[in-house]
Amino acid sequence: MGVSMMSGRDRRSRRRLSPPSPARRGEAVKGWLYVSPTAVFVAVLFVVPLLLVVRMSLSRWPLLTGDQGVNAPDNYTKVFNNRFFADSVVFTLKYTVLATALLIALGLGLALLVQESSRWKGLLRASFLIPSSLGLASASLLFYVLYSPFAGPAADLMEKLGWTFLGSPNAALFSTVFLIVWRFAGFYMLLMLVGLQGIPAELYEAARIDGASRWQTFRRITLPLLRPTLALTTIMCVTGSLLAFEQFYILTKGGPDNSTITVVQLIYTMAFQGQNDLGVAAALSVIALIALVVINAMQLRAFHNPDEK
Amino acid sequence: MKIFHRRGGLRSVTVVGLSVAVLALAACGSGGSDAAPGAAVSVAADGTDDGSQLTLWTRAPLEKQAKLLVEAYNKSHKNQVTLTVVPNDDYVAKVGAAAGSKGLPDLFAADIVYVPNWVKQGLFRDISANIDGLGFKDSINKGHLGAGTVDGKQHVLPFVLDLSMLFWNKALFKEAGLDPNKAPATLEEYAAAAKKIQALGKKDVYGTATGLNCGGCLVFTWFPSVWAAGGQVMNGDGTQANFTSDQSKKVFDTWRDLWKSGAVLPSSKDEAGPTWTAGFTEGKVGLMFYPATLLSSTKFDVGVAGIPGPGGGASTFVGGDGIGISKDSKKAAQAWSFLNWMMSEEAQIEVLAKDNDVVSRGDLANNKYAAKDPRLVTINEVAGKGQTPVAMNFQQAYNATNSPWLSLVRDCVLSEGTDLQPNNQQITSVLSQ
Amino acid sequence: MRHPPTTSIAGLVFRTPYWIFTGGLAVIFLFPLGWTAAASVSPHAGTNQTDGWGFGNYRTLADYQAGIWQYLVNSAFVSLTTVVLTLAISLLGGYAFARFTFPGKNVLFLTTLAILMVPYATMLIPLYVLLNQLGLQDSLLGVALVLTMFQLPFSTFMMRISFEAIPRELDEAALVDGCSSWAALWRVLLPAVKPGLITVGLFAFLTTWNDFMAPLILINDSNRFTLPLAVSNLRVQVQGVIDYGATEAGVVVLALPCIVLFLLLQRHYVRGFMSGAFKG
Repeated sequence: MGVSMMSGRDRRSRRRLSPPSPARRGEAVKGWLYVSPTAVFVAVLFVVPLLLVVRMSLSRWPLLTGDQGVNAPDNYTKVFNNRFFADSVVFTLKYTVLATALLIALGLGLALLVQESSRWKGLLRASFLIPSSLGLASASLLFYVLYSPFAGPAADLMEKLGWTFLGSPNAALFSTVFLIVWRFAGFYMLLMLVGLQGIPAELYEAARIDGASRWQTFRRITLPLLRPTLALTTIMCVTGSLLAFEQFYILTKGGPDNSTITVVQLIYTMAFQGQNDLGVAAALSVIALIALVVINAMQLRAFHNPDEK
Repeated sequence: MKIFHRRGGLRSVTVVGLSVAVLALAACGSGGSDAAPGAAVSVAADGTDDGSQLTLWTRAPLEKQAKLLVEAYNKSHKNQVTLTVVPNDDYVAKVGAAAGSKGLPDLFAADIVYVPNWVKQGLFRDISANIDGLGFKDSINKGHLGAGTVDGKQHVLPFVLDLSMLFWNKALFKEAGLDPNKAPATLEEYAAAAKKIQALGKKDVYGTATGLNCGGCLVFTWFPSVWAAGGQVMNGDGTQANFTSDQSKKVFDTWRDLWKSGAVLPSSKDEAGPTWTAGFTEGKVGLMFYPATLLSSTKFDVGVAGIPGPGGGASTFVGGDGIGISKDSKKAAQAWSFLNWMMSEEAQIEVLAKDNDVVSRGDLANNKYAAKDPRLVTINEVAGKGQTPVAMNFQQAYNATNSPWLSLVRDCVLSEGTDLQPNNQQITSVLSQ
Repeated sequence: MRHPPTTSIAGLVFRTPYWIFTGGLAVIFLFPLGWTAAASVSPHAGTNQTDGWGFGNYRTLADYQAGIWQYLVNSAFVSLTTVVLTLAISLLGGYAFARFTFPGKNVLFLTTLAILMVPYATMLIPLYVLLNQLGLQDSLLGVALVLTMFQLPFSTFMMRISFEAIPRELDEAALVDGCSSWAALWRVLLPAVKPGLITVGLFAFLTTWNDFMAPLILINDSNRFTLPLAVSNLRVQVQGVIDYGATEAGVVVLALPCIVLFLLLQRHYVRGFMSGAFKG
């Protein structure tokens, strides 16, 4: 589990192994051998390109002509001066809060609904899970047609009401959030189910004997014991939402009236649609990366359970 | 299927090879500077046809024409062209990635409004000498040729022309008591016709339609009205917007009035491009400014004319794609063979005109295929009167989803006549970056 | 949570709102897919299926450029290569992270997780440059390598917790018996982490099968395009006009193998997620 992964065994083993010994060296060599494919992939295909992104962010680097030499910190200044920067940060945060709250609540709700096994519940579980097998781009395309005032199933209704799914800023936001909830709710339900299975049945039994109400059981037993699962799902959901791109790229293109521009979409626009400036796009990517690392560190700290020590 | 190019060899990439990779990246980082942009190509007049393999990229909307041209060329030449079609929205990303590391194909097409910028960035080679050698140079579409001309050097030829024209639904015209064989001669008449068709009160039928959330569509269909009235939308080098002119104001006023009167398809308000022509294609719209390339797929009886301006005139936006030889091509002489053939009478008439596409040479406007359909002659003739606007930052100022041009149109047409000045200024500031 | 058995008529009446509610939820989740499948064979103006029901849109898809089979083969190649690579790398990596102590372990693990935090689009240009240096330009193998890298955070994490959930006594016993750590992994631990592997493989497949951006930037030759790229090419016609029919058909063809696999393997990946460590 993510929250506790740096504690526990690692710390213990470090203490135990403090005097260097041949056995330890052997273990280290073996460990490195097993982990070397991962290391090679991460180093060659992630760290090296990432360093290049950092270098881009410090250089004048138009998309079509390549590196024109260092110009730090111009790109960073340009990011902050971009007329959509502040808006995109605010919108991304708004979207993240909304999507995370809905997905966590729905994931947990659906999990509670289908927790026990029966044929009907198995069917329900499968139908909630099916959308999770679609790619995000496919799902976005699907909803693109579904929301279309031209080809969608509600086309006639929309024409009558003079309202469209993507027509106003709020409608566009909620329509996109609906797509995301549809696509991911099953997946989060699955993670929640796993967490719920880990809660010993005896605890529920005891609570029942004590005459606890359903709500009390939920608050006093389910929620606290689900804490690690909730932490994992929240972190995953927040990270994913902060980097939201495809759904908005396909559905709203940042519209209407520039109301749904996310940070990654702004990066894409800076790089490929208009300015064609990789330097500025890279600068915003670096800023986003740093922000995500900080946000995730904060979440880990917030979710860290002091009792575990 | 060749899955794996073993140029560098995978074996060099070990943990040790990592440092090599970093060095290599650093070395290639300075790519653009030694690419010698604009290195002139001068080869035999009709190019070299020696059985070389050539590559050509185009964006998806032009696939049909590109495929026809490539197939016809491959059939009659030893050189073989391989065509790659790239999704429209991602074409710039694709070209950009390739351009940055010398991976461009031999030939590639570009949306004509991006051509000035791309030429300036050195993506295309200078082919002035060859173009000058063409006997019919003066009849090649001026808009496209001009867009690819930087510092007096020509880099690009017209690949596929896409014109905006006034299309009207003859059946609906008749029903509304309008003359189905006569095009509205002015923008005012256009608006009046739209309102008349709206007044029919038929279910699901609207006067006109447009894409009010689609910068590209608005550029394509509204600029010509300004030109038709003798106005200009930008200064000559495309660094200053000019939407406060009387002609522009009249165009915006007419559309605001049309929108307010309810004669515009309601979904036009949010239309970001994907379905901006659909209403007309389905016969639900009386008349609209529409891409000429869709004529062949329009099943019912339509009339076609140039786009009128306030007070009359006719013009068109000469859009579509220009094509040139890339800076990275090592087979410029062979690539020219394709371009030279593409401009020939044979290709223009037996491939493009035969497919009901617009020819890119004025002297071939009246060809045997066009003669069968007078509307094609009209289109070919208006092509000569049209314009292709030139600006370095065209994409950012107009086409981008967050462009200031879109803000201007929406502020001015959808809400009550706001002051044009600040939005015009915003466009200028993007244009002049 | 537990409900009393509902055999009586009163119980049935009491349960009706529950049936309606849960049934309604299921419909909401299934409707978009069902509607798309139906719409892809129903007539619509501006598509290749204008009169009556039929497979016109699928014909558009099938005849597109190199033909759908070529794209399916390419997609399958990229997906399967990625799955195999991901499985191999994360199996070994997960084992190392769960069972060995070595210098740089935490740094490497956190760096792997950081892959999730970098905007995908920004990484592609450097990756393009890098693959060119490696002689892997315009190759499906290059795409598979890149996609494998993007799978590593999830799969390494998953395999690490799968291994950690196995009691240490199991492999220690094997080691005492004289097995090498390799043999212990292969003979004793592998069967125990099978659900984890299935989960990792399935998710690697789903992501790769649907991925659009990496092949877009990294592949030039249309004969090497993958299916999502072809569908996206088909979608937009002149001046941005969309062929909705072909889009629907494309979504269906893309989704079908995923849904089938997802349902077939449901039992396994549920066990994969449950292999313990998610409990904390």
